[in-house]
Amino acid sequence: MYSRFYLSVLLISGLVLITFLVFATYRELNPEWKKYQLEYRDLLIKNAPNEAARKKAKSIKIEHQQIYIKPLKKVDRCMNCHRGVDDPLMKDAKVPHKLHSGDYLKKHPVSKFGCTLCHYGQGRATNKKDAHGKGRDTHWDYPLIPFKYIQSSCAKCHDYLFLKDNGGEMVVEGERLFREKGCRGCHKLNGVGGDLGKPLDIIGSQPIAYFPMKYVVGERNTYNWLKQHFLDPRKIVPGSEMRVFLSEKEADLLTTYTLTLRAEEMPRQFRAIRYTTPVPKDGESLYKMYCVACHGNGKISAYDEILKRTIPAIMNPAFLKIADDKNLERIIKEGRKGTPMTSWKRTAAGLRDEEIRNIIKFITKDRPDERPEPFDYKRFVTDTKHGKELFNVRCALCHGKDGKGGKDHLGLNLRNPAVQKFVDPEFLAMTIRDGRKGTPMPAFGKTGVGLSDQDIADLVAYIRSFSDKGKK
Amino acid sequence: MGEVNQSGIAKFLNNIRSLKKSFLGSFLRSGKPTSDKSRAAVMFNNFFLHIQGVKTHINTLRPTYTFGFGLISLYLLIIVVISGVLLMVYYNPSVTEAYNKIKDLKYVVFGGNLLRNIHKWSGEGMIIFVLLHMARVFYTGSYKKGREFNWVIGIVLLILMFGMNLSGYMLPWDQLAYWALLIVANIINSPKEITDSLGITQYFDIGGFFKELFLGGTNPTQESLTRVYLLHIWLLPMFLFLFLGIHFWRIRKDGGLTRPDTFERKDSDIYYVNPPEKTGGIFPTYKTYGLMELARGRTPAVDKDVENTVLSWPNLLIAELAIFVLTLAGVIAYAYFVDAPFKEPANPLIPENPAKAPWYFLGLQELLSYSAFMGGVGLPGLALLGLALIPYLDREEDRVGIWFTNRQGVTVALQSFIIGTIVVIGILAFVVNFGWFRNWWPNVPQILITLINPGNIWVGFMIVYSLFVIKKTGSTRMGAIALFTMFLVSYVIFTAMGTYFRGPNWDFFWSKSQWPIH
Repeated sequence: MYSRFYLSVLLISGLVLITFLVFATYRELNPEWKKYQLEYRDLLIKNAPNEAARKKAKSIKIEHQQIYIKPLKKVDRCMNCHRGVDDPLMKDAKVPHKLHSGDYLKKHPVSKFGCTLCHYGQGRATNKKDAHGKGRDTHWDYPLIPFKYIQSSCAKCHDYLFLKDNGGEMVVEGERLFREKGCRGCHKLNGVGGDLGKPLDIIGSQPIAYFPMKYVVGERNTYNWLKQHFLDPRKIVPGSEMRVFLSEKEADLLTTYTLTLRAEEMPRQFRAIRYTTPVPKDGESLYKMYCVACHGNGKISAYDEILKRTIPAIMNPAFLKIADDKNLERIIKEGRKGTPMTSWKRTAAGLRDEEIRNIIKFITKDRPDERPEPFDYKRFVTDTKHGKELFNVRCALCHGKDGKGGKDHLGLNLRNPAVQKFVDPEFLAMTIRDGRKGTPMPAFGKTGVGLSDQDIADLVAYIRSFSDKGKK
Repeated sequence: MGEVNQSGIAKFLNNIRSLKKSFLGSFLRSGKPTSDKSRAAVMFNNFFLHIQGVKTHINTLRPTYTFGFGLISLYLLIIVVISGVLLMVYYNPSVTEAYNKIKDLKYVVFGGNLLRNIHKWSGEGMIIFVLLHMARVFYTGSYKKGREFNWVIGIVLLILMFGMNLSGYMLPWDQLAYWALLIVANIINSPKEITDSLGITQYFDIGGFFKELFLGGTNPTQESLTRVYLLHIWLLPMFLFLFLGIHFWRIRKDGGLTRPDTFERKDSDIYYVNPPEKTGGIFPTYKTYGLMELARGRTPAVDKDVENTVLSWPNLLIAELAIFVLTLAGVIAYAYFVDAPFKEPANPLIPENPAKAPWYFLGLQELLSYSAFMGGVGLPGLALLGLALIPYLDREEDRVGIWFTNRQGVTVALQSFIIGTIVVIGILAFVVNFGWFRNWWPNVPQILITLINPGNIWVGFMIVYSLFVIKKTGSTRMGAIALFTMFLVSYVIFTAMGTYFRGPNWDFFWSKSQWPIH
């Protein structure tokens, strides 16, 4: 007799081994998709219009299905479960056997385009969870795209002019919103735009790990992140300075458009872009594209909770009266250091001189004809001490005792380097004398409160001295 | 028999008729193993079996002596090699294709996913069983009496096995692979910390040189994957098999596994062994044996059985077969239920946070977080050197082959286990709660942290404690037990720390569920 101990070990582990080999073989022989293909065959037999078709249906093989899209080196195995997707007999069948909706497949044959090109999901996978990319444990960055965003895939190959009349209205609308909500005031796209936010060039194809998913409700994927972030940026990214106020529908539209901004470019034989979509170059469109996110309609100067500062009303006639084109051009081109206003020249935010001129033309369309009476600051000998006394009485209420403005004050921050360095005293003096119509800033000159020019000059001198004090 | 009368054709036909018998006879030259003599002949006539002795000591067959750890490690290696060759049929070491190939393997190759799981888990199982085997060899004192150098070869095998596992981890070219590769490259680069402190990096950048040699550049690219693949499928296995051959050959030359000098048969041995048919010995008296002088130890006397041994066929072989089937069944069952991890495709722009090395290196990564040089080169180097030197520093040769040597050994091992656990956890708790020099004095020179950091303090403590045990017990073996126990304890605790309690930015978390979701 052989050793009893080792023989029993051999026997038991042999049984375990055989059991698991049988299990494994069974699992391999019965993949998830086999069930669906059998169902499909039954449906085919049931729906067959004549005997010949029935006979043909009976003979179809239950086997692995795969489409290889050579130019893209893409493999799609979706047809393992969705075998009826291009079969007209499956018109009334249920998902997954249902025929593809619409007549898209006529011009986009499955054999050439596959499925994941438009719908995303993991083409190589052969079980439902992995193929649809649901859940983070599938480790797939591009899960099945929700139907409401599906039109973003059309823009991979088609231009917006074509899409407008051919079933791509949502992505076209999204593109318009993108322009009109002023997204590029903060985000660069193709190198043009502000630098407060992240560049958007490949945002639609960024991996899920690129987005902070902590506060996203529901499935943690790019689609949900984008939409929820559009609806409430600060809920998804605490402390975000993104100024966006959208309805549910607009958020969906913008999400659709954002998803078209992808890294990969389709090969030539797939693209059907006949002409480039013309981008409006007029001042109003440009103003909307680059300025509207912060300056709004440009008429109201108010403290902004998100940016934590007062945004100047740049289309206020009173402001335009004293700010000439040259002044405006310098501000737009060089930006305002220390404020969110970025430098918009060609080498920075990327606007052409011509575009900047168009924007200025649009801003200044309401500029009053008469020029302000010059103040001629240089002729005064100023007294800072007197200026300080006046400031505490006249200005501190709105601009704060230290001139910083801020949350509980109506006025701008006068200690801002932009005001201190780039605004010339002449401009300051004129503003104090004539006030800013349409804003809470009253006129302090003879027409209003009644300060003398000497008083105003002293005030200007005191305000200008803030930067000296700051240095100390 | 009228052979003379037979025609040539008849002889030829006769040969054809007896083909089966003559072929088998030439294959099994000693005939069927029906007698003790032919059973012995099976062993020494067979190329594969003759690495083992004709007779095996009963002690070797007692499951509670070896627990089969070394054997399981070998079987895991065999499973790894076979499954690895099958994986090579599909794999392509290209940064654009590797990931897709693994996906295809997972989703469409028949049994591909199971195959990959088997390869992965038997590879990582080797780490556990090799360490257990090492512990068994250590605690039974089997590194003594001529086996000193075989212990050193064992250390070499340990390093090679870690290298094999590590290089395999990088081949799928997913996020795990990419960032682990980068971490390993940074571990290789860690001597830079010391050359920076000495200000000689620009003349002698040894870390940078090896990092570049390993990666084939400064970042993980196709070059790195090619190199890692080369290491994984050819260079490391070649050396592994070479050293494995020496390892086994030396075991054979040392007379098999160790056993106590005081060995006595027990009644329970009947469960493991099948005693020989006759007790008079298998060596006939009419032959002389000239090689006895070369054999070690007490030579077997003619006409008398070698003490307490039984025939290897079938006793040893049935045990080996049982353990092999047990190993295979275990691996396949585990591989059936647990999938090998496979994440998003490698993306150099999106770092994994935390970027972690494979689990068996997370103890090192924990040390690395204190000091790059010490964690990456200094302490592991010291540990391996210390392990390799144990047989030369402890040369007491009595009571070899007995677990923990004696009662005192059990006490020392238990004490070191408890003290080691408390001290290591204490050090970790201190570091987690209070930080280290860099947190207290941000401008402290790096060289000071290299010299004084939690890792060094722990290693220092191990050495001092072992010397204390040697002094107290007057036995170097006891000191070795204390040192080795503490090494095992700290390997396990540091690895667990890095695996379970370190999250994004290498911060401490009680569980993974508390990690901030990125």
